[in-house]
Amino acid sequence: MRVSDSIVLRTSLLFSLLTAAVVLLMGIVVRVSVDDHFVDMDRAQLSGKFELIQHVLADKNVPADNVRIRQQLEDALVGHHDLVVHIHDANGNLVFSTGHAAIPNDVLTEKNAENAAKNIQRWTADGMVYRGMATDTETGYHIAVGINIHHHQEFLHAFEWQLLFIGGAGSLIMAILGWFAAKRGLRPVQEMAHIASHISAQQLQERLPINNIPVELLTLAESFNAMLDRLGDSLQRLSEFSSDLAHELRTPINNLMMQTQVSLSKPRDAATYRDILYANFDEYERLARMIADMLFLAKADHGLVIPHAEPVNLFHEATALCEFYEAVAAEKSVTCSVAGNAIIHGDKLMLQRALGNLFANAIRHSHQGSCIKIDIQMKNTQAIITIENHGDAIAPEQLPRVFDRFYRADASRQRNDDGTGLGLAITQSIIHAHGGYITAHCENGTTRFTITIPATTLQGNNG
Amino acid sequence: MKILLVEDESKTGSYLKQGLTEAGYLTDWVQDGLSGREYALTGDHDLLILDVMLPGLDGWQILTAVRHAGILTPVLFLTARDQVEDRVKGLELGADDYLVKPFAFAELLARVRTLLRRGHAREENMLQVADLELDLRRRRAMRAGQRIDLTAKEFALLELLMRRSGEVLPRSLIASQVWDMNFDSDTNVVEVAIKRLRNKVDANFSAQLIHTVRGMGYVLEADNARV
Repeated sequence: MRVSDSIVLRTSLLFSLLTAAVVLLMGIVVRVSVDDHFVDMDRAQLSGKFELIQHVLADKNVPADNVRIRQQLEDALVGHHDLVVHIHDANGNLVFSTGHAAIPNDVLTEKNAENAAKNIQRWTADGMVYRGMATDTETGYHIAVGINIHHHQEFLHAFEWQLLFIGGAGSLIMAILGWFAAKRGLRPVQEMAHIASHISAQQLQERLPINNIPVELLTLAESFNAMLDRLGDSLQRLSEFSSDLAHELRTPINNLMMQTQVSLSKPRDAATYRDILYANFDEYERLARMIADMLFLAKADHGLVIPHAEPVNLFHEATALCEFYEAVAAEKSVTCSVAGNAIIHGDKLMLQRALGNLFANAIRHSHQGSCIKIDIQMKNTQAIITIENHGDAIAPEQLPRVFDRFYRADASRQRNDDGTGLGLAITQSIIHAHGGYITAHCENGTTRFTITIPATTLQGNNG
Repeated sequence: MKILLVEDESKTGSYLKQGLTEAGYLTDWVQDGLSGREYALTGDHDLLILDVMLPGLDGWQILTAVRHAGILTPVLFLTARDQVEDRVKGLELGADDYLVKPFAFAELLARVRTLLRRGHAREENMLQVADLELDLRRRRAMRAGQRIDLTAKEFALLELLMRRSGEVLPRSLIASQVWDMNFDSDTNVVEVAIKRLRNKVDANFSAQLIHTVRGMGYVLEADNARV
């Protein structure tokens, strides 16, 4: 498993790296301040000794090698085994020295007493580390004081190791704790996965609980539920469609079977047989058309291909369709008017079919003596076609469903014309294939279908 | 008129052969691509009806061989797949027409007649069937000396029926020829149009000229031989 594969691993690793960085920083700060503290302590000690020596040497007239002064200095410095003191007189003769280590010359050059305290220097001699300072006194002596700080260094060294150990162990503990924390933090995700794993076509009604879900996962859960809603809806339509299809096919086939059985039950004359065959033929024809329509829609579901996109003059097509349906419309005293124009890029035959189905639908549902109005507009780069008829009202809740396959406004109504119940579904899929959309409105008995279709943006196919 | 039918599905083939023979065509029927090619290259046929999917050679290969041999016999394709690519490929190879299965036999017959008529069309100014006359130049229809008022589409419909008098024309062919509507309309548009035309042409006369052939289509003819 790569690190990027697991959120838990990634989070805990990041967590421990950050912890290690913080601990390291803190360690450095502590280490530096402890060191500073030691320096201050050494400075105070050195300055104290310095002042003591100066005080003893304050009398100008007493030479430094005087026994009494030597005694005084030794008394003052007794017990300080870490201390190194060298005192030279104005002529450069060493008049007093204690301690075993030498003081390097570059430490001894400072002339000013105040600067000496600031300019504390460090050096190494005989494997030991010293810190020291030097200056000339007003009485002509040159005093150099050093202090062995080896034990400080050893302490700091041990302290560094301790810091490293604490930091390392802390980081490791934080990594483990972080792993648990991340694991626990991700539990809602696992719960979601658990619920999701139980969802199947038979149990699409299951939903992720929205109430006690972390804010961060709310969007995910909501879109997941919305997806389930859509899937459920599609599945519902699909199963309705399947049962509708079975029903639509069963009825005519039942009729054919019954008719054939009854016809065969006793001998009849040739004319009767011919009539029966004709009646059967009508039924077969309708079945064949329904199957062809179904195939068309099945192909449309996989993305209808527009093979021959060519400029289509919509006014011309609408007028031609008006002429085609003229006779049928005239039977119901329905007239037809076409206004406006637009030229779009598309498949002429398919568009003819799409509009033709709308025409047939409009005539079928028009009241006697009404007028079907077709209006074609060009808005920006879109053609907008409206087909309006006065007649049977469609209930608002049924409007979006008119494009469903085998949809009937009145469920009890039997189909008594040649319609397959797929006309508007085919119209819709053709419009979709052209990158457009179609809507239906109904108001005061006026039913209006509005097609919006891009004029030029056709790119081969579309789902 | 001699027709070669290459169709491997035996039920379809035998019905088609029966139908074409009864329609007055001498029909050779073979069931595989290789004999289909042999017959097409050697036989003296006026029309080839080829299925696309065949054992041995497919319909396209037969067509290619036929056109390669310089034979220009009209070819009608039968295809079970209504893929546009099939349609385009067939037409590109030099087929004259195609029909998608399932199709109505009347449709096939009408197309066969159209293909066989090709090249035999005559320019006429006047069409006449019994006492019905159509003056194509002056766009006038007369029955027994009486003028009949027709709309432009009614005139076109009557012209089609008269030009192909005696032939049963299926509804889809009428829709395509008169209105240039090539989709399968689910309304009875042609039926209604024929009814209205019949009202104008036949209503006042005892001899009916326009007949409905159930399950097939419409025919205009003088004698009343058909049912």
